[in-house]
Amino acid sequence: MTKPLFLTLTLRLSMGLLASGLLSIGLLSIGLLPATATAIPQVADEAPARTLRLDPVEITLGVGESVQLTAQAIGLDGEPEEAELGFFSRSRKSVSVGRTDGLLTAMKPGSFEVIVRERLKESAATQEGETEPKVRLSGVIKVTVLARPLEKLELVAPSHGFYAGTVAAFSATGTDISGAVRDDLKLEWTSSDPSVASIDAFGELVLHRAGAASVTVAAEEMTQSMELSVVENPVARLELAGDLDAPRTGDVIHWEVAAFDAGGAALDDVPVEVTFMARTEDTLGAASSGQIERIPGANRGWRFVADQPGRYTFYATSGNAVARSQITVEARNVTGSFKMVGHAPVRDTHTSDLWVWEGVDGRDYAVTGTWGANGDAHFWDVTDPASMERIATVNIDARTVNDVKVSADGRTCILSREGASNRKNGIVVVDVTDPRNPEIKSGFDDELTGGVHNVFIDGNKVYALSAGARYDAIDIADRGAPKRVGSYKVNAPSPSIHDVWVEDGLAYSSNWSDGVHIVDVGNGMAGGSPSNPVKVADYAYPSGWNHAAFPFRQPSGRFYVAAGDEAFPLGLNLTGKPTYPRGWIHFIDFTDLDNPSETARYQVPEAGTHNMWIDGDVMYVAYYNAGLRAVDVSGELMGNLYDQGREIAWFLTDDPEGYVKNAPMVWGPQPHKGHLFFSDWNSGLWAVKLER
Amino acid sequence: MLTVLALAAALLPQERLLVAAESADQVYELSFDGKALAIENVIEVGYQATEIEGPHGLTVAPDGRHWYVSIAHGKPNGLLYKYATGTNRLVGETELGLFPATMQISKDTGFLYCVNFDLHGDMTPSTVSVVDVDGMFELEQIVTGSMPHGSRLSADGARHFSCAMMSDELIEVDAVSMEVVRRLALTDGTGRPTGGGDHGGAEEAEATEEDAAPAVHNAICKPTWVQPHPTLPVAFVALNGAHQVVEVDLNSWEIKRRFPTGRAPYNLDVTPDGKRLVITYKGAQSVGVIDIATGEEVARIPTSRRIPHGVVLTPDSRFAFITCEDKGATPGSVDAIDLASLKQVSTVDVGLQAGGIALFPSSAKPYLNR
Repeated sequence: MTKPLFLTLTLRLSMGLLASGLLSIGLLSIGLLPATATAIPQVADEAPARTLRLDPVEITLGVGESVQLTAQAIGLDGEPEEAELGFFSRSRKSVSVGRTDGLLTAMKPGSFEVIVRERLKESAATQEGETEPKVRLSGVIKVTVLARPLEKLELVAPSHGFYAGTVAAFSATGTDISGAVRDDLKLEWTSSDPSVASIDAFGELVLHRAGAASVTVAAEEMTQSMELSVVENPVARLELAGDLDAPRTGDVIHWEVAAFDAGGAALDDVPVEVTFMARTEDTLGAASSGQIERIPGANRGWRFVADQPGRYTFYATSGNAVARSQITVEARNVTGSFKMVGHAPVRDTHTSDLWVWEGVDGRDYAVTGTWGANGDAHFWDVTDPASMERIATVNIDARTVNDVKVSADGRTCILSREGASNRKNGIVVVDVTDPRNPEIKSGFDDELTGGVHNVFIDGNKVYALSAGARYDAIDIADRGAPKRVGSYKVNAPSPSIHDVWVEDGLAYSSNWSDGVHIVDVGNGMAGGSPSNPVKVADYAYPSGWNHAAFPFRQPSGRFYVAAGDEAFPLGLNLTGKPTYPRGWIHFIDFTDLDNPSETARYQVPEAGTHNMWIDGDVMYVAYYNAGLRAVDVSGELMGNLYDQGREIAWFLTDDPEGYVKNAPMVWGPQPHKGHLFFSDWNSGLWAVKLER
Repeated sequence: MLTVLALAAALLPQERLLVAAESADQVYELSFDGKALAIENVIEVGYQATEIEGPHGLTVAPDGRHWYVSIAHGKPNGLLYKYATGTNRLVGETELGLFPATMQISKDTGFLYCVNFDLHGDMTPSTVSVVDVDGMFELEQIVTGSMPHGSRLSADGARHFSCAMMSDELIEVDAVSMEVVRRLALTDGTGRPTGGGDHGGAEEAEATEEDAAPAVHNAICKPTWVQPHPTLPVAFVALNGAHQVVEVDLNSWEIKRRFPTGRAPYNLDVTPDGKRLVITYKGAQSVGVIDIATGEEVARIPTSRRIPHGVVLTPDSRFAFITCEDKGATPGSVDAIDLASLKQVSTVDVGLQAGGIALFPSSAKPYLNR
């Protein structure tokens, strides 16, 4: 399999001089400059060069096979010369290579590179003082590792029968000698009689008429076949029934189809398809009017949601049988507005998270953190949301107090620390029994050194992120002496975490690419406790942007987790101009904890999400540059809620005197006693009221 | 007249520096003309606008065409970014280990060696990442010790040295085989058992306890930096917790001399002429200059702000550049110290928590006016 070729890699010596270099030579001639400043190679001239001969330059081998690589330096005279060369794999977990002997061993299939480098032994004063970079012989050997040969090919047929006028979806799985699935296989499908059954461009078998045929799948040297007996489609009549007569946009309609033969007998084995046609009221031409999908696990169940009001016609088909049903979808009409109530500006720095609570004196208070600043947490009297008053500031050794939380009894506040001068960070426990005179009770940084980004208080336990990789449960029963009692870390090669939220003894952590994890930390459903956290469910989505999670149960029993993204693909603007994040809210249906599924999203175009809070049927979203949003999350959720008219209200925090002027950057919302309080990264604390 | 002016301008030293502001996610590009430091560019780094990713270590390729910054906080592993000198355009990145910190490129192999400081507190052995900077591939992670710091290479680039701060070790790695070849237990000279004593917080003062030392640990010396001598077979190690710098004989692999220092020595460098040590005293808001021949501290120079961190020296051994972190919203700073007069000659404020610092080689000077 090897391909022994000799490649000559030419390395050009830099011989030219810049005009500035010439000036320096002139200065040197009168003894004014040190020699190191005389000639600065910049322009590459063609010149003889030493080269590197590699054997082979490309190689293909199988998993588990080894081969000897060689490399030889060639001098300016074209003859081999001595040079100390080393071999290094750029994918050491897939191909290994002896660094001095060049023995290559393949471990995983794929395309890789081994680099060959010449060692340079010349000494110099310091790296920073180096002025004449040496020319190093260097080369690359391309390595292709083939997967192990296919050992077994299995053809998987659909469970239903084969009827003319329907479609059958086949699949195939190949495994190698070790039993590993070969997901790199190129499958080729053929039919013995295309007039009976033909393979379409997407690999599906279209059944044209009654008759016999065989379907065959081939991969590498193996084939598998299955004999089919296609029969006449017995369906003479279809019935199509929906469960909503007067749906609104965003309402999910469930369709069921029943099939009958000419004698009226029910037919359960015959495939049926359902689709729709829309005539929306949008005279501008709606780009998308709705979506339909099979209900997982249902034989003849579909669900549909309309984005646009209008008339929708649904068709069920099987063979020549067709059923048709029409509905009218009305606009959802949930529009409301946010009434501005109060603004407590913070304009000298960025503001981070907030927490609002009723104090032990019956008045209402809020605490806000600061970001990239002096380590301040501000305390506010928000009893009158129209006139919020800053009543105290606690300063801790930190640059960012990213998260702030207050215990349910209103006595204990936890501040998270990042950017501490000693890099110890951790959390700070503050007595807020009298919010006008907050008192630091203790700090706790054991194994919280890398910086604590988020925290949550549940009873006398604080859940704090540790090292960006896990959360620790910290007992604060004695506020002067917190102690760690447990921790939870996602079981993944490089687990990463951003947030944790606890409700009813279940911890909901947001773990970027590892998604949402639900963990029993005292609920009892899995025997978990703070010192013995037990995972009960998880769900990850492809973008890897999972940043926050908020659970909510509907009266119907459906159990969703709203999982928020955070992403900055367009970069960061800390000062001077706005930032334009991206991302959306994912709705994950956890009703069946063993089979969670992502069913819906709320995505505002050209903007990015941060934190959210769900209160009854309304979700409040801090949508960064898109401001504060209120969204109707009642009923079953499907599709993009933004497109369905489920958005109730929005509010943009334009502040001409903000830290970044006129740049909404809403961080986090919290409803409290009929008002909605929220923090904005550029302008501080706000209070609004949702009017519907 | 123009010729005279050109000559005068050419005679002024013109240095170019990079400084990382760890709590501002910024890298500052500074110039120094022999008299004053000036900010030339501010480069925003990182990937997540509302989180501190923490640019920590900096180094420049020997040919000056690229510079590299380690990003301490990732998901959870940190990153190495590669920038083009002059345009300051991000041209490559690769994932390293937990909290990648200081680093240097070997002139022997051409690879970059970066310690993964892993200050998160669980005190498991961490690693040194080896990176092929041409393709930006991590070639290896070499397991060394607990909280490795002070990644420095021998003058020939064949050997890599780092300190394991929380296991009181100096560790030598073969740059090619990428294997640990020697470990030296570092002591404070009092006879206390290395790595087994009671820390007790005795070395801690306001904002001086070395980075993230956990509340409970066994380290005594807390070595934070190692710098091989440019020509002699010795290396100097800053013992942050013992307020000493020790000279290690690289042949016998023993501590030969101890130099008492100011409180909490942190980073250090050896002048290219091999005559002096310049040491940041993190707990004493000052910089110490030690004559290597005599072992005497010849000067202690106050820094402009608290918590001095990094140090680099000019190739002519004339100037030292020092970063100061300070605390909270107080800006970090960079000081220029004249090693002839042993006085600070310039200072400039930069972003929050100025730490990592690197000097462009003279070969990069043509980029100055871009």
